[in-house]
Amino acid sequence: MKKNFEIKAIYWFIIVLFACFLVLPLGSLLIQSFQSQGNFSFANYIQVIGEKGFLTALQNSFLVSGLSALITTFLAFMMAYAIHYTNIPLLLKKFMKNMTMLPMLLPTITYGFAIIYSFGKQGLWTKVFGHQLFDIYGMSGLLLGYVIYTLPIAFMLIHNAMEYIDKKFIIVSKLMDDNSFKTFVITLLKPMLGTLAAAFIQAFFLSFTDFGIPASVGGQFEVVASVLYNQMLGSIPNFANGAVVAMIMLLPSVLSIALLHYLERYNIRYNKISTIEFKKNALRDVFWSLIGLMINVFVLAIFMAIFIVPFIQMWPYDMSLTLNHVEAVLMDPALIGVIENSLIVAILTAITGTFVVYGAALAVARSSIHPKLKKVIETIALVTNTVPGMVIGIAYLLIFSGSPIQNTFVIIIVCNIVHFFSSPYLMMKNSLMKMNAGYETTARLMGDSWFKTILRVVTPNALSSLLEVFSYYFMNAMVTVSAVIFIAGARTMVMTTKIKELQHFAKFNEIFVLSIFIFIINFIAKGLFYYFTHRKKREKTK
Amino acid sequence: MLKLEHIKKSFDGVNILNDLSLDIPNGEIVSILGPSGSGKTTLLNLILGMSDVDSGRIIFNNEDITHVPMEQRGFNIVFQDYALFPNLNAYENIIYGLQNKPNISSKEEVNELIHLLGLEKHLEKRIDQLSGGQKQRVALARTLVMKPQILLLDEPLSALDGVIKESIKERIKMIAKEYNLTTIIVTHDPEEALTLSDRVLIINEGQISQYGKPEDIMNQPSCDFVQDFILNQLEIKRRNIFALFHPMQEQMV
Repeated sequence: MKKNFEIKAIYWFIIVLFACFLVLPLGSLLIQSFQSQGNFSFANYIQVIGEKGFLTALQNSFLVSGLSALITTFLAFMMAYAIHYTNIPLLLKKFMKNMTMLPMLLPTITYGFAIIYSFGKQGLWTKVFGHQLFDIYGMSGLLLGYVIYTLPIAFMLIHNAMEYIDKKFIIVSKLMDDNSFKTFVITLLKPMLGTLAAAFIQAFFLSFTDFGIPASVGGQFEVVASVLYNQMLGSIPNFANGAVVAMIMLLPSVLSIALLHYLERYNIRYNKISTIEFKKNALRDVFWSLIGLMINVFVLAIFMAIFIVPFIQMWPYDMSLTLNHVEAVLMDPALIGVIENSLIVAILTAITGTFVVYGAALAVARSSIHPKLKKVIETIALVTNTVPGMVIGIAYLLIFSGSPIQNTFVIIIVCNIVHFFSSPYLMMKNSLMKMNAGYETTARLMGDSWFKTILRVVTPNALSSLLEVFSYYFMNAMVTVSAVIFIAGARTMVMTTKIKELQHFAKFNEIFVLSIFIFIINFIAKGLFYYFTHRKKREKTK
Repeated sequence: MLKLEHIKKSFDGVNILNDLSLDIPNGEIVSILGPSGSGKTTLLNLILGMSDVDSGRIIFNNEDITHVPMEQRGFNIVFQDYALFPNLNAYENIIYGLQNKPNISSKEEVNELIHLLGLEKHLEKRIDQLSGGQKQRVALARTLVMKPQILLLDEPLSALDGVIKESIKERIKMIAKEYNLTTIIVTHDPEEALTLSDRVLIINEGQISQYGKPEDIMNQPSCDFVQDFILNQLEIKRRNIFALFHPMQEQMV
């Protein structure tokens, strides 16, 4: 049937894409994990679980991820509270918010090295204080890294939710003679419980599956992610065992996302959001700005090393300033090539990813495709949300080795699109759902074809969401390491995987210079996206 | 003449329209009146071609259009929420269809429409700068540029208030007369239906309760439903309004 041919074609293209690059790889990973000498067996599982240290690593992972998620949620809550429930000057609030989000511009693998150069034996702060404040390798280093990594995400969740709390209930509670504590519990804590749990789970999930931080500061403290890396790319690779570890890593991920969806029901929705004027209270404002700034300063203190060390002749022995290290990187064709690769991958991921997300969201939000078929795309989004990058990377390594796309940009780009599909898809879908339902019919009655309607009406009105999707893909492609580490070849090396390689040779100056490049690129990109979104808004209010 | 013959439509096994037949003469304003869930919007969508009938035929000027796709029927609609494109200004919205069919209306005809609807001053405005009544007129103009054979209006007055309502009513009547345009209006408001149209179709639970001129409905309600829900509502309104103008008189009655 010719009716709706275009959107159906797009729908099936997306289904085939995810069948090939999500279902097939994960399926073969599952099969591989149960295969021993050509037979179905639990032998691999028994072997992995029986291996010395594996259960300890698993236990470590749960412990350190859980603990860091707890700290992160607490800090994020305080930061969001300082922004939403005080009269701190707007400019300071903006500063605090942006500073909290800053770590998102850097890859997690850099965090670890920043910690080493801040609190390690020769670290910046060790020098300043004259002695090492704590042992960075192992538990404490991981905790620190995970907290920095997950704080922006937890903060964003809590910050957004707090915005949608009706502040008028504070007045109601006060008029009912509640004391301050009771007011706090009834008007803020209770409505936020679902979000707080969600922030905790999200932080836990991210820490549990992150590879960059244990790769740099894990030390002897083994976690599942480092076990997985060593099984696949260590001195004696064992793919079957790697598949088993990947499956075991998948389990808590699936559980945590399932829990997230379950918790969503308990989110309280207010009919109307009203703001109130908070009482003047200078003491409160000073107190909360200090709390907020302390968190900011702490994060900044750790990242400072990245921006200082590469400009020092030879840390910490020859402390004279120099640009030699930056120049060396700029002169090194291999490193320049890596920067180019990263840019190519990030831009192409952003462009193709935006198309894929747009197509999927159009099919679900603005077509008459059968609801059951739409459900398939929703399921895909859910699954991509639960699968850790490392698991996708390993699955690709297993299935695409020897295929023509091995060691190409294509595999990295597709991997990024699949890995990061969930959030931008939901963003796009929600924005398209909110759009007037009569647009397509009206345009069609005016003689537009389907493509013309999309081009003339839907796309111009979805532009700011499209830009957001583009920016999300770009940034994540720039900083991701967990999946690409398994599939980047010698010629397709990107900055983050190069950093991992440089670690072997202890070339920390190069590591930091590359990190600064990632930071600058993301910073500029963020600025550009901000400019474009706001230019659109400015035009509107003109 | 638009003829509907034995139209049936159901969703998920629930009958929405049950063996509906009626004729609509060319150039008349016909209101479809009924409570929510009566099937009036479904009927509108079937005429427009947005959804397909389960059985029955739709015939327009002696041509069977039951299976003609929406965009080839030559009908057009103004939605309740207008569906104006916010990325375009008022004028760009009005001439939207000319890009696809440049010759359907001449420049003069477009200007005449703009004048008729009193939109000259608002052409450069963005959609969110327009008031409800202005949006309604822009949407009407955009649709009329396409010279539809039948104009469909989905609850055209429900989002408007007071005086604006009356003035839009007048414009709709004027345009129907000026262009001899068959106009089908969906509404849930008896006052609106009976004061705006040449004929009113009252439907309830997927069936026609009465189809006739306003005065016939007022004088000879066909059944309890028309009496209870349509006429009584107007009666209460009338009493309230009379009471406002003649408080003493009303007390005496």
